[in-house]
Amino acid sequence: MKGSLVGAVIGREWRTRVFKKSFLLGTLLMPFLGVGFIALTVMLTEGTETQNLVLVEDTPGLITRMDAASGQFVPRCPGCFPERDKLEYRFTREAPADSVWKLDGYTALVEFDESVLQNKAGYLVYETSPGMQAKRRIERDLSHAMEHARVLESTELDWTEYQRLKFELNLVDREASDAGSRTEGGGEEIRGFVGFMFSAVLFLVLAVYGGLILRSVVEEKSNRVVEVLIASVRPEELLLGKVVGMGAVALTQIVAWSVLSTAAFTLFQFVFDSGLMPGNMAPGAGEVPADLLTVMAENEFTKILIEINWALMVFSTVVYFVGGYLLYGSLYAVVGASVQSEQEGQGMVFPLIMPLMFAYFFGLQAIENPEMAAFSWLSWFPLTSPVIMLIRVAVGVPMWELALSVALLLLTARFMLWMAGRAYRHGVLAGDSTSGWKLLLQWVRGNGG
Amino acid sequence: MTHALRISELRKTFGQQQVLDGVGFEVPQGSIMGLLGPNGAGKSTLIRSIMGIVEPDSGTIELNGTLWSRDAVRGIGYLPEERGLYRDMKVGEQAIYFARLKGMERADAVRELKVWFERLEVDGWWDKKVSDISKGMAQKIQFICTLVHKPELLILDEPLSGFDPINARRIIEEVRSLAASGTSILLSTHDMPSVERLCDAVVLIDRGQVVLSGGADELRETGWAGEQEVVFRGNDIAFTNALGALAHLDGIQSDSVEGTRKASIRLRNREQPGDVLHALAEAVDIVEFVKVRPTMESLFIQAVSGTSSTETTP
Repeated sequence: MKGSLVGAVIGREWRTRVFKKSFLLGTLLMPFLGVGFIALTVMLTEGTETQNLVLVEDTPGLITRMDAASGQFVPRCPGCFPERDKLEYRFTREAPADSVWKLDGYTALVEFDESVLQNKAGYLVYETSPGMQAKRRIERDLSHAMEHARVLESTELDWTEYQRLKFELNLVDREASDAGSRTEGGGEEIRGFVGFMFSAVLFLVLAVYGGLILRSVVEEKSNRVVEVLIASVRPEELLLGKVVGMGAVALTQIVAWSVLSTAAFTLFQFVFDSGLMPGNMAPGAGEVPADLLTVMAENEFTKILIEINWALMVFSTVVYFVGGYLLYGSLYAVVGASVQSEQEGQGMVFPLIMPLMFAYFFGLQAIENPEMAAFSWLSWFPLTSPVIMLIRVAVGVPMWELALSVALLLLTARFMLWMAGRAYRHGVLAGDSTSGWKLLLQWVRGNGG
Repeated sequence: MTHALRISELRKTFGQQQVLDGVGFEVPQGSIMGLLGPNGAGKSTLIRSIMGIVEPDSGTIELNGTLWSRDAVRGIGYLPEERGLYRDMKVGEQAIYFARLKGMERADAVRELKVWFERLEVDGWWDKKVSDISKGMAQKIQFICTLVHKPELLILDEPLSGFDPINARRIIEEVRSLAASGTSILLSTHDMPSVERLCDAVVLIDRGQVVLSGGADELRETGWAGEQEVVFRGNDIAFTNALGALAHLDGIQSDSVEGTRKASIRLRNREQPGDVLHALAEAVDIVEFVKVRPTMESLFIQAVSGTSSTETTP
């Protein structure tokens, strides 16, 4: 292969796309729009959270008592109803009619009877929903108060003693090696999820930018440039240049988005921290880094993340991006070469990316059980390995399996590139009346160029 | 003698259809060879075989005395019949891209392209997008892209299609000039006047086989069936009597301005025009006695369908 020719093709594909107004606008604006959208959501959520005044009807008198001084019902366990932002409680034994408590300014009414301790159910009555967050807080506070009532009713323990005796077992993972030593284990789900996030991004990139290859091939057929091209460059070289060039466009966009998103988020954080925005809920300046460091040092989740082999993870992502892109890019190119329009091509693409979609959904399921045999097989199979293997790399995979999977992927990608080159040449020669599956079938049978 | 292109026994089958059936001919260096043939004769497959787009089943292709190779093909300038440009790319960038695909360095490509753009008067369009230029302008740019890398062999498939008469003449001049400077040219076209004006030799293929080939003059001479045009002053009956058994009279027309008569005759024995001229000169006053050789078009039609037509050429 002539490097300079492939380089020329890569350069054209990259330049014509990256210097397009639509690409520049999309790349520059998208991160700011994304962060702006999050900021807007935060602002709107903060600004519109309603003040909830909840009336709790404790008919059986389980969680309240009459306070002689105030003449009002108060909780038996005051600590169970901590002071909360935009949520207040009042208690009664018998609530008035709905129209009356609503007129009294209550936004919701909680009802339960004696059976609540057995069936653990009550009602939340409202005209306008207090919102999911408020509902969860009400459930948590009342559950706490019910637990307090149960302890007092069925044991001789006082509440403080009960809290002390309450026990929750925490199992720490340890992996036993063949050599007899034990190493710290566990966290597969979290690591698997991190790997899946990488896979999901790869899946999106392969699907979106594969579509661009299809469009590019169809364009060269329809504007009749292709015959001049393949008279100068081998079809394989042309396709390699096209796939790599488009991959470079994808990488450019991803890197630009990463940098700009960080910049946009930092700007947003600065504006938020400086109190310029309404509903500021962020801590004061200088507190975030300190908190973050503390969290990273102490948080189990972060600890697991740190244990991931990030160097291998990044390396694998790059390798599977290259291999996967060559493989699926070639498939898209085969389709592009065999059709007369992009629309016709889109209809043919779906069966080809089915394995990738299957891998994506299987990967989601496999996070919970990364040791299953099918997971290993799919991480070796070239059509699914770009998505599946990244999850395994995050969780931990033997190096020989990784090497096997990469070798199979790269070999298959090379073969597909060669096949796509032949299909490309054949597609050029086909008349307008022959296209799609019919053309591919002809080509497989060996008829034509 | 080394030929720019030599093709021997080239065969290609698509499915059940034999598209090329033992095609063979040579393009001498510095000559313009016309590649003629009716639609579906196999011209495009032949050209695509030379360019490596189609893989022939058998036969050999030599370029400059060496067997076909991908690197050698890169040196050919190829203007296909089905041609186009990227609509969203700027003209100059696009021309540089095609030049680089032919192995030129960017700086060399820019320098050569600027010369050609100026020469064909398209230099003002360098920074325009293809979508903003006319079809004729795009054709000129494609023509420039074909020869910017100074190919020793040019393959032009219908190079004049899309050009107005003035620009077509301009392209013909450029093609002539390239041939004069040593570039060998294989010209595939259905435009017979341009074949007459440009080609040193022609090869005519039909149903995948070469049915006629040779130098343009040689072919017209070989195809001459004794047609003569005679301008005379005198009596038609005396003229006809003088022809006698020596020639067949196709018709006589009068020229009212000059007061002469013009007759089309066909010699019975094409080897003895002098005998006919001598006999006629005794009966009438001969003004002109001109050999009428067949046109390329008539040779083409004759070879393909067995019919012929003629037209006066001095």
